[in-house]
Amino acid sequence: MRLAQVRTPRNLLAAVILALALIVPFLVGQNLYLLTVLVLMLIFIIYSSAWNFLTFSGQGSLGHAAFLGLGGYAASLAAVRLGLPPLLTLVLGGLFSAFIGILIGITCVRLREWFLAMVTFGFAVIIQTLVVSQLAPVTGGWDGFAVPKIVPTSIPGYLVLEYYVVLLLAVLVLVLFYFLLRSRIGLALAAIRENETEARAAGINPVPFKLFAFGLSAFVSGIAGGLEIFHFGYITPEIFGIDLSFWPIIYSITGGLGTLAGPVIGTIVVTLLWDGLNVLGLTYGRFIIIGILLVLIIIFLPRGLVSLPGEIEKRWKRKGE
Amino acid sequence: MDGGIAVLGQVAFWGLYSGCIYILLATGLNLIFGVMKVVNFAHGEFLMLGTYITFFFFVLSGFNPYLLLFLSIPILIGAGIIVERLCFRPILGTGKLNEIFISLGLIYIFQNGVAMVFTDEWRSMKSPFADLTIAVGPIQLPLDYIIIVAVTAIILVCLSVFLNRTTTGKAIRASSQNRKGAMLMGINVERMDMLTFGIGAGLAGAAGTLWAVSGQVFNPYMGSVPAIKGFAIIILGGLGSIPGAIIGGLAIGMVENFTAFFLGGSWKDAISFILLIVVLLVKPTGLFGEEGE
Amino acid sequence: MRHDCIIYTILGLLLIALVLMSGCTQAPAATGPSEIKIGVVASLTGPASTTGKDIWQSAELAADEINAKGGVPVRELGRSLPVRLVQGDDESTREGGMKAVTKLITQDQVHVLVGGYSSAVVSAHQSIVADNKVPYIISGASSSAVSRRKDLDTSYMFFHRPNTDDSAEASIQFLTEVFRPAINAKFGFSDGRKLRVAVIYQDSPFGKGQLDAVKSLIATKNLPIEVVAEEPFKMGESDFRTVLTSVKSKNPDVIYAVTFLNELVPMTQQARRDVGLNTVIMAIENNDDPDYYSGVGMYGDGMVMESRFSPYAVPAGSTEAATRKFLSDFDRKYGGFAGMMGAATYESVYIAAAAIEQAGSLDRAKIRDALATIRVPQMMEIMKNGTITFSPDYRESKFDLYVVQLAMDQKLGEPRPVIVWPGNLKAGDFSIPDWYTPGSP
Repeated sequence: MRLAQVRTPRNLLAAVILALALIVPFLVGQNLYLLTVLVLMLIFIIYSSAWNFLTFSGQGSLGHAAFLGLGGYAASLAAVRLGLPPLLTLVLGGLFSAFIGILIGITCVRLREWFLAMVTFGFAVIIQTLVVSQLAPVTGGWDGFAVPKIVPTSIPGYLVLEYYVVLLLAVLVLVLFYFLLRSRIGLALAAIRENETEARAAGINPVPFKLFAFGLSAFVSGIAGGLEIFHFGYITPEIFGIDLSFWPIIYSITGGLGTLAGPVIGTIVVTLLWDGLNVLGLTYGRFIIIGILLVLIIIFLPRGLVSLPGEIEKRWKRKGE
Repeated sequence: MDGGIAVLGQVAFWGLYSGCIYILLATGLNLIFGVMKVVNFAHGEFLMLGTYITFFFFVLSGFNPYLLLFLSIPILIGAGIIVERLCFRPILGTGKLNEIFISLGLIYIFQNGVAMVFTDEWRSMKSPFADLTIAVGPIQLPLDYIIIVAVTAIILVCLSVFLNRTTTGKAIRASSQNRKGAMLMGINVERMDMLTFGIGAGLAGAAGTLWAVSGQVFNPYMGSVPAIKGFAIIILGGLGSIPGAIIGGLAIGMVENFTAFFLGGSWKDAISFILLIVVLLVKPTGLFGEEGE
Repeated sequence: MRHDCIIYTILGLLLIALVLMSGCTQAPAATGPSEIKIGVVASLTGPASTTGKDIWQSAELAADEINAKGGVPVRELGRSLPVRLVQGDDESTREGGMKAVTKLITQDQVHVLVGGYSSAVVSAHQSIVADNKVPYIISGASSSAVSRRKDLDTSYMFFHRPNTDDSAEASIQFLTEVFRPAINAKFGFSDGRKLRVAVIYQDSPFGKGQLDAVKSLIATKNLPIEVVAEEPFKMGESDFRTVLTSVKSKNPDVIYAVTFLNELVPMTQQARRDVGLNTVIMAIENNDDPDYYSGVGMYGDGMVMESRFSPYAVPAGSTEAATRKFLSDFDRKYGGFAGMMGAATYESVYIAAAAIEQAGSLDRAKIRDALATIRVPQMMEIMKNGTITFSPDYRESKFDLYVVQLAMDQKLGEPRPVIVWPGNLKAGDFSIPDWYTPGSP
């Protein structure tokens, strides 16, 4: 596997980014704005990585906000109704999300990859409709309800603590994915993605692996959903919105589909670009720029920004010859 | 339910009308899928462009908006050809997910490009026949809807004549049935791709004109949901099958309106997806689906 | 190796970016404030951007006027300071709102916040405002669930808008006091007959809130009104034919429509033209916009609407001059009509200026205390007792709402509104349109 190759500079880069992430609060101090931006960025790194993990198994989802939202609602309800601490209910939310994810997966493993994309998109629409209509007595309908914060605001400098909690979770998720992909499971997933028929011939039953990928992706998305809600302190059905389904796709493609670093790089680059273009006063323009970027990357750089150094190197070498 | 049959008849007619829009969308999608096996989720943006072209030229010229079909269809055929050449041709055969992702980019470009020019305010226009209604039994039918249903039928007949009687149409059908075989017979398959994509976009453009003429409002973001429902329809009706698209489009139009009538309007979008998921559970290839990728 | 080279370049760039970012954040400590910074939270992008532009431009108009008159005197500093507005684009999303508000508070160090539109977006950044104790005059977020939150300290948030209960109350009062007697008299119904109301509402916090308010009002006041249909529709819907057909079969006397403008126009046309529903539609305040009158055309004739700020029906009295000036100034500067959200934000900037003047300080806590006790004469929108003041319990200002009826103006080719309720504001009488047929007896 490509990402499993150990390249010193690449590891160094990862180490430096991590070190930077660790010392950021000391650099920016109590700057709430930067911390908020970074916390949201980290939550989206977790979410995009979860979405991207699905593509390792050759599956794709257009409605991942369903799992973000399910995790968010389950975690919030557990925290509010049962009075459990948010950090614990995060896991509960993730498990609930995974449970529903596996149910969807069971119905979908037999489907073509793009049927699955349709089904997940539809599922997000259905869940949102349910939450605001039939389930409204529990979910508060469109009004939503208030939830506790990850770290109680009464603790001084709670946002810094919150930042470290989210950072820790992000690192844990990435490390988990790293080892999973290097394990036999990762190899099996790669085999299924490249050619399902051949994988079957080699004695790999794709169904449990695909289900595992779907369940784990839903689990991590659910955790990201819980984090986001506990960061806001208020949940509303907007969490199932189409835009929240599309962002992880954009982040992952920009960074590099099917790579571990892709969603991380993609989230950072696109978020910076997004906010930067806003400062320049491009309102509709930035959507167009993101759209063009997406089209260009899919056509000319199918492995995303992470493959850019390699591509440039190739060009240079070719010129040199 | 007071009024019984008459009320249900009226709802059925609204279903028929919204079915027309879906039929035009789904037929185009199926035509494209049949030949290229491509999934273009940005198809709804062609619908949206159709409404804006109609709106723009109607305000500019004051022509009868139905005449503007002769403008929106050719412009959209052109747009479709350009999109196919620039975006879909380079990634042909790299997998369905890539096609979906590239359409995502196209959605952003088209929606916000239109929003930049026309702003994202809701627009509407008024057909010159807006105030005329015709009584059919106990039901009052506005003339516009009768024209819309008729226009849809005429477009479908023209399409069928084109596909069955002309050489180009036969070439398109041949490429759809067997791409390699068609290539061996000397058909320029890539040209057929472009043409089919253009025709599909043109049908969506026609749907856009009809949408605007019927007095429904539109904004730059109106296209995505109808397009995704269009996909639900072609999965239900069978990939690549044009009769399937027509039956499926009609069915979704009816089901949506009867659901809104009995369950309430908030289920209008969700019901098509519930239907889709149920059908896929029973038959993973879709109701009539056999071939395709 | 070349490869390393590239990686190190990226590393270097990252480091530089970070240093720059942290450098930017160190706001230079000035020798004393030279301006009053007001943060405007508005949806400048995304689905709510049309309203967002109204909010921003109206705020700008107010700030320009204040500065033209020499700014706001601040006692503590012994001089007047100009107002500077800082834009915070919430992108119509919860994430965007959170980022924008945090930036306004911590980077731009604004003294007061105004604006805020969607309830969902506001609910996501309320905690930041509560933690940092910044006075926030919110002109949107009509849901009481947002203004009456118990889980956090809302003492810095002031709501300059009628909540859903207020606007529902005005409409329902009109229906019981004027509409019901009128049809009873015209069609010879008995006094005991209940008015048959069908509610068609947007499936959203906004629509659901109105529906709940209407129902609880009828129940608690035991009003002679019966809700014969409750029909939700998806936000952004443009095809209401089936919903209206369903409503028609229930024989209502009046339709209570909770919609956005883009929904009310097709709904009205489809009701009268396509479905043949000869019933009055009662719409609510956010639809009072020039686009509504030009959009519905002849089908708007006879319809009624609860309103608080209208482009064409300006209530006579102390607010008339200010309203006309605002409408013409706004039209001259930006073109078009500011809408009620614009009007409320324009007033909010003035309220903020008044509070700072009263506090005599730029200290956020002192401004808050001033806001809590402030009494400003009404400006454009009609207030209870003619004064803008915030209630002690949930810090909500109280509006005097009115109801207009549309009448076709053949010369203009579109209808125009006339205020028909309440008695002290009305310019004409409500009349039942000729085409109207009541529901079943």
